[in-house]
Amino acid sequence: MCGIIRLSIYNRISVFRAEQGISRRQLAEAVGVNNQTIGYLERGDYKPSLELALKIARHFGVAVEMLFSFERFESIAMTLKRAGEDE
Amino acid sequence: MKPRLINILSRLDNTLRWTGIPARVADEMSDAPSVDRKRRPLRWTPIWPMAFSCALFILSLTWPSALDRVPLGGVIVTMTFSQAGIIVWLVQLIHQRGPLGKPSWEDDEREASLRKDSFLFCLGLLACLNCLGQPFVLILSHRQNWQTLHIASVAMSAFLLNVTLFASLPTLYASWNLRQLPKE
Repeated sequence: MCGIIRLSIYNRISVFRAEQGISRRQLAEAVGVNNQTIGYLERGDYKPSLELALKIARHFGVAVEMLFSFERFESIAMTLKRAGEDE
Repeated sequence: MKPRLINILSRLDNTLRWTGIPARVADEMSDAPSVDRKRRPLRWTPIWPMAFSCALFILSLTWPSALDRVPLGGVIVTMTFSQAGIIVWLVQLIHQRGPLGKPSWEDDEREASLRKDSFLFCLGLLACLNCLGQPFVLILSHRQNWQTLHIASVAMSAFLLNVTLFASLPTLYASWNLRQLPKE
């Protein structure tokens, strides 16, 4: 039997936004959506279109895979810990 | 102009300013209207006209035979018509700017998708209700041997119910789908 598997899409827009010090409204204006849409995206309540995902990635200057993933992103604490161990 | 009249006029001005309407109109007419103006979701308001319309439909189905025996039939008919007036007024208020409370050309992709979903939900439900309800009313009219006036009143109330559902359901659906976002 063939069924539709709905995968969750995780993102770390809020992390990139915090890092660059821009508000939801600024990001929304830059990518041409309502600022509430950025809020729903960050909370995982809305899955963006490919166009919007690419626009957001281009705004932050990263590949789209850096922002969106089917798997949960590693926490910042874990990333820092791993980076410390590598050094 | 008399000082007393000026005082009254300035008070009227202040009252109008207090409502926030002049500021809102000025904002909408400005070259750069504020983007984050809050649009209040109408979670409960659409339920009223739907409830009124349902009540009117049930009344038209069950009451006409009793109406002949009630001496205050005229009063009841007047009340029914005024109820229809209230429904039309409420529906107009709700439907004026669409399910999201703003015109569709201002939508981004999430809002356009929500608008589409709400209309699809509404039309699907209306199609189901009409497909099931029409044969039911037809059988009922045949079994109870309805008079022309009775059929006309049922048809009118069914039409009003359809219009109310079409105008209010998308707003209700969209309002309950918009969850509150925490402040930044």
